[in-house]
Amino acid sequence: MSPKQRIDQQPAFILHSYPWRETSLIVEAFSRDHGRVALVAKGARRPLSALRGVLMAFQPLQLDWSGGGEVKTLIRAEWQGGQPLLTGRALLCGYYLNELLVRLSAREDAHPALYRAYATALAALARGLPIAPLLRRFELAMLRELGYGVGLEVDAESGEAVDPAGRYVYIIEKGPVSAPDYAGELPTLTGRSLLDMAADTFERPETLTQSRNLLRALINHYLHGHELQSRRVLKELQEL
Amino acid sequence: MLPSTLDELIEALRCLPGVGPKSAQRMAYHLLQRDQRGAGRLASALQKALVVLRHCERCNAFTESQVCQRCASSQRDASLLCVVEMPADLAMIEQTHAYDGLYYVLMGRISPLDGIGPRELKLDRLLARATDGVVREVILATNFTNEGEATAHTISELLNARGIRASRLSRGVPVGGELEHTDSGTIAQALFERRAL
Ligand SMILES: [Zn+2]
Repeated sequence: MSPKQRIDQQPAFILHSYPWRETSLIVEAFSRDHGRVALVAKGARRPLSALRGVLMAFQPLQLDWSGGGEVKTLIRAEWQGGQPLLTGRALLCGYYLNELLVRLSAREDAHPALYRAYATALAALARGLPIAPLLRRFELAMLRELGYGVGLEVDAESGEAVDPAGRYVYIIEKGPVSAPDYAGELPTLTGRSLLDMAADTFERPETLTQSRNLLRALINHYLHGHELQSRRVLKELQEL
Repeated sequence: MLPSTLDELIEALRCLPGVGPKSAQRMAYHLLQRDQRGAGRLASALQKALVVLRHCERCNAFTESQVCQRCASSQRDASLLCVVEMPADLAMIEQTHAYDGLYYVLMGRISPLDGIGPRELKLDRLLARATDGVVREVILATNFTNEGEATAHTISELLNARGIRASRLSRGVPVGGELEHTDSGTIAQALFERRAL
């Protein structure tokens, strides 16, 4: 990016924001064509700031910003609307999606397809659709868009097509390997579940459970031991 | 090089939220140069507050006694418990003169990405307070931000599991507010949450 570049009317969502100096905010935004960007919203914490109510996570926005450094200057933010605020469990899951993007996507890497997957997932959360399938769909789309190859249709050892009737163990960074009798720690899936995932179909209970285990293992692997706070909060809530 | 005592003061002032090195320096020079009496008052007030103030056993707000005056008052309806994020929110609700129940001040809000969850907010203390056998309804008056909403949801789940009724402040167009001058987010949500007449 050249030092004075200005971006106008860029579709974006706020992932996270934190106070900066007396009256400003730094927002981590996820934009359609420029990926994740850090923006300083000057004066956004003043009581009468027009930005105050607009810079809300999970709502479609249009942002203008300028600057060439790591942190750019937000010039304008416009609320696009059309989507109810997230509530309840859907809201907590929204935080999970945001944390995934903050942790796993690199700044200023454009991922328009991932942006679409994120917007679709949020819209589904806002409409109260079943949560598990939309989370799995997003997790898989995210890993693939970020370039972590997630092989699902070919046995990584034999090179043969995955057999719906077969049983597989998933070896991370490699793929599914036929292992009818495996009973260890690694995620195991039926061929049918793998093919469901490949077809983006998360309907069967078995596919949901097995894909959840696999995607969790993959995400944990790529997080390099970093604990997701949003996941911890959800877990604590269940324990209280 | 600055004398180390001055350095220490500037460094200490930086513990205030939103105060960077520049502002801290400005504050230090102001206190020492222009307002030594104010500085003395600040120092002793801070010292006294640290010794004297603690959290009320019942509402978690700051008080000098074990239980604050409001919580000890017999004029208050002890079957109602209103949960707010900060003492300033409590003050706003008191100003309405529309509420005569008791309060619980969270001193924060759930914010998963900042690592603030039920444990950090000590929600177990609120649960113990709300299940004292006297409280019949808990009014969740956390902010209408995502964090305030997440906090309200979390608390209501925990209360419902214990058979305590939870309600939430309703939201919408401000009283005396004209649609033309109301932000679109508020109008949109008021539409989504419209009620039958
Ligand atoms: Zn009290």
